[in-house]
Amino acid sequence: MKKDPNKGYIALLGWSLNAIEAAENFDRRYVVVAPEWAEEYCQKHDIPYVPWNFERLNDRSMEIAETLRDMGVDVSIPLFEETVEWAGAINSVLLDNPRLYGQSLLLRDKALMKRRAQLGGIRVGIFEEAHDKEDVVRFLKRVNQTLLKLDGDPNDPIHLKAFDKAGCLGHRVIRTPDEVDTIPDEEFPVLMESHLDGWEFAVEAWIHNGKIAFLNISEYVTLGYSVFVPASPELEHYRKQITAQIEKLIKTFDIEFGLIHPEYFVTSDGEMYFGEVAYRPPGFKVFELLERVYGFNAYQASILVFDPKTTSEEVSAFFPKEVVDADGFAGCFGVYPRRRVVSKLEIPEEVEDDPYFESHELTPPLEETVTKRTAFGTHWGLIYFKGDEAARMKELLKHMEELDFYV
Amino acid sequence: MTTPRDTTSSNDAPAASDKLAGLLKKLDDAINLLYDARDFAKPGKLPRVLDTARRVLMQEGGCAALDERSQRLEDAGVFLGSDWATPQYLVPSLTTHALKSADPNTVVIEALSELRLVAVAKGDYPHALISAEQAHHYLTQVMALNLWLLFGAPSEAERETQGRLAQVPRHLFRHLAERIGYEHIIDRLIDEIWRILQQRPIQVEPVKQMITQIAICQANPEIDLGASGQGADRLVSSLFGPTRACREDPGIVVYRERLSSMDSAALQGEATGFARAMHDTGLVSAYHPVLLRHLLDHSDHLLAEALGLSSTGRDCLLCYRELVSALIRGGVHPATPQAVYGLSLMLERGILYQPPVAPAMWRQLGLTLSEWSEARLNLAFGEAISPRARLLEGVMCMLGQPLGVGQGNNPTCQSARALSMWAYNDPDYLLQMVAWAARDDEIIMHFEGQPISSMESIGGVAQSLPMDLDPVSLIVVPHLDRIYAEMGRRCVDREGDPHRWVNPEFHGWWSGRGFRINVDVASGQLDDLDDFLRHFYASYHPYYNGNQPLIHPQPAGIAVTDSAARFIGWHAITVLRVSLDPSDVMRVYFYNPNNDSGQDWGEEVKVSTAGNGERSGEASLPFEQFASRLYIFHYDPLERGELAEITQEELDRVTGYIHRSWGADRVPPTDLQADQGL
Repeated sequence: MKKDPNKGYIALLGWSLNAIEAAENFDRRYVVVAPEWAEEYCQKHDIPYVPWNFERLNDRSMEIAETLRDMGVDVSIPLFEETVEWAGAINSVLLDNPRLYGQSLLLRDKALMKRRAQLGGIRVGIFEEAHDKEDVVRFLKRVNQTLLKLDGDPNDPIHLKAFDKAGCLGHRVIRTPDEVDTIPDEEFPVLMESHLDGWEFAVEAWIHNGKIAFLNISEYVTLGYSVFVPASPELEHYRKQITAQIEKLIKTFDIEFGLIHPEYFVTSDGEMYFGEVAYRPPGFKVFELLERVYGFNAYQASILVFDPKTTSEEVSAFFPKEVVDADGFAGCFGVYPRRRVVSKLEIPEEVEDDPYFESHELTPPLEETVTKRTAFGTHWGLIYFKGDEAARMKELLKHMEELDFYV
Repeated sequence: MTTPRDTTSSNDAPAASDKLAGLLKKLDDAINLLYDARDFAKPGKLPRVLDTARRVLMQEGGCAALDERSQRLEDAGVFLGSDWATPQYLVPSLTTHALKSADPNTVVIEALSELRLVAVAKGDYPHALISAEQAHHYLTQVMALNLWLLFGAPSEAERETQGRLAQVPRHLFRHLAERIGYEHIIDRLIDEIWRILQQRPIQVEPVKQMITQIAICQANPEIDLGASGQGADRLVSSLFGPTRACREDPGIVVYRERLSSMDSAALQGEATGFARAMHDTGLVSAYHPVLLRHLLDHSDHLLAEALGLSSTGRDCLLCYRELVSALIRGGVHPATPQAVYGLSLMLERGILYQPPVAPAMWRQLGLTLSEWSEARLNLAFGEAISPRARLLEGVMCMLGQPLGVGQGNNPTCQSARALSMWAYNDPDYLLQMVAWAARDDEIIMHFEGQPISSMESIGGVAQSLPMDLDPVSLIVVPHLDRIYAEMGRRCVDREGDPHRWVNPEFHGWWSGRGFRINVDVASGQLDDLDDFLRHFYASYHPYYNGNQPLIHPQPAGIAVTDSAARFIGWHAITVLRVSLDPSDVMRVYFYNPNNDSGQDWGEEVKVSTAGNGERSGEASLPFEQFASRLYIFHYDPLERGELAEITQEELDRVTGYIHRSWGADRVPPTDLQADQGL
């Protein structure tokens, strides 16, 4: 697409073909910042590119910020959890705003993030850092004492998460002290949280000039397995309260622009509990689901709200109206093999014949033995659905958990 | 000609076309995404196009829809960066491999390429790289090379590797044949039809469809068949006009009128005409039952003529005249013409002389079918005729053509083999099974003294109920399959192969209790091969077993290999007899429940179905070659003699065949000390 020299110049941090494609088809100039292995591909396909290896921030970190500044880049956009603090560091230089770096560190560390949220008056569950297995056992006991459980009562579970990993990576549920032994030592330190019974959901909010430009609620059918957008009418019922929560979050974290992706629980009495927030595109291809129902490209939406040269008029013209402009419900399901030994991929006929079924990204198994899942782990691929009724979508996604895709 | 199957499919037509329309919308979305994507992003959009296209190809009418979209698909970049991007260089012989692939994307992209070329050949899509004539020539070659795709059900190999995907190449070829024209492939087709018919299958519907296609081509003045299609006359006439009075296919009503005014000489002419056509081809015209029913009130002599009976059959007919009349009245209708052939062969076999068979047939005639059985028969064959008549036709055909039983496109070779074996060896037992299954919806068999009910058992080998079967199999196989699987489950804790215990209990007392297998179950390695082979020779080879012909059909297991001699899977067959063929080669004659026994197992091992002394429905291989694919056989432990003293040379030849095919990666590690020659 023809680029508009009066608009901003964007750097994409990390390698994502979908993001590149979106940038390619948008009127902003862009450059991809990615490791050296991408160079040949970028040359071949004529993709603007600056090589950079995103390891831990170090003495040379200033170099990439200066390189981009000298190129005339206005802002950088993190595409993955690992590039969030890079974006903070780079943008603090490009936008001459040192606070952005501190903000990004808050958004990168789950324990710091929770403390900050608590300070901002946002409700969170009980949480603590653990440095070894003993800490975990102690926390498990204390949480259950707090809940007035007697010895022998089944424990409420606790959740363990890595400080700085995206989504479900490294997420474990612990119910008994025995299970603590299964955690490898190298996973420490971790964040421990009490279990919240309730309805878990996520939000994708695009923020421009400190205000919400578009707020999507993504409904999880089962965490780690399935999600669909827009949320069902039952969950959308809470939109007003959710919007108020997001505004609180924006204020607490002092976010002026960009895309945030927080997770919440809503309990049976309508109380919202904050889980965590990420400053990057969500996993599970929620962007694609949004495009499927609303028709706008969510990467382009991010470019738009990050670009300091974007006007408010442009933003309001870009986004559709939440929920009412959605043309149905789009959902996806992450497939995990259910058997220990699998030999081939076989999409069940009932899935293929379902009118909601759209497409899948599953590939034939590379190995016959399935690694036992300890943590939530990584799914083997997604299947996409689209249809008119939220209830049917929910039921369908739930039902997928009972099917074998790998046999 | 309206077949019952047509009526059922037309009922489903609206739902099916809705589904196709829905899929096409998804496909068009996916094509547009691919079309709009920049080159670097195309690989990411391609899987969705191919997967959706695969689902379209599975639908009735899907090929035509893709044919129309072929230019758009190519422009969008479906073939970009692959060999298919340069159609002028494509090699027809490679299509066979691609279409048999287990990888859905390979099958789909091959199909899309063929559909594109048909659009090019028909002038709908002017292509920059290939002309309409080139495309036409290419497709003709592809069709001729893959004729098997125009016929019947997928083979064991395809079923194992492709599953449902095997439908895609079939739909594709039917579409290609319609677009390109049968005249270009018709002679190959005719040879193939004769080859299949020589095996005398019970299910002739696919063959009939092919012959009908040929007849339609011949009748269509716009199709110039040139010199081709001459050999089809007998096939077409046997179905549509085998005798003088129905030569021009006048319709049943007219033919019935003509019969009423015929004298005996004319009737005699009709009777011989029908009988000759039927025994020539194994196909029965719908007019034939009309004559048979007419003759019931005339003369036994003409009835025997019309059935084409020899003196054996005629004797049997005269002995059991009442029963035969009842069978004709109950089971021989224009909608069930094959019943005539079944009846004729059943009489020829003389099995009615076995005391329980005739009364059992009377039970069959009066059998009340359960609702479930009726529903299954109606669903599979339509409602043109009562389910009871349909089943009766099936019973007569199975008793007349025990080796014509086929498993359809289902993993139920064991059950098909059992049915065939009973029809062949123990017909009244088969009739008992049919009665239990059709009337009671339950079969109880015993495994080592413990009853196993097909109703209580949780599941069989087949995951869904098979539909593409003959009437008897349709009703009985689901029960047998569950019982067979349950017997297997009761052996899970035992060491070794469960067939050792299951086969004799499942098939009958005559299956030898002695059991040999040449594969170590735990490791999958070849085990004690020499002894296994010597023992097999000693039990079955007339030169080594005291010239004793095989008495009862015996279940055996073979390692099926493809035409490149690669292992595909284990398969159940029946050894029927071992004897010298017309050119004095010792051959094993066996029954393969697969629908077409003529298979190429690679390394020159080509299963023959005719021309080497085979009876209809038998498959055969020279003894050595058969032994090279055998992995399980049964024998009578009390008759076990000495291991055969076969020459090392012969043993080495058989072992060589094994090592070069399915045994290639099953050779146990050799003893190193011996190897080093110390």
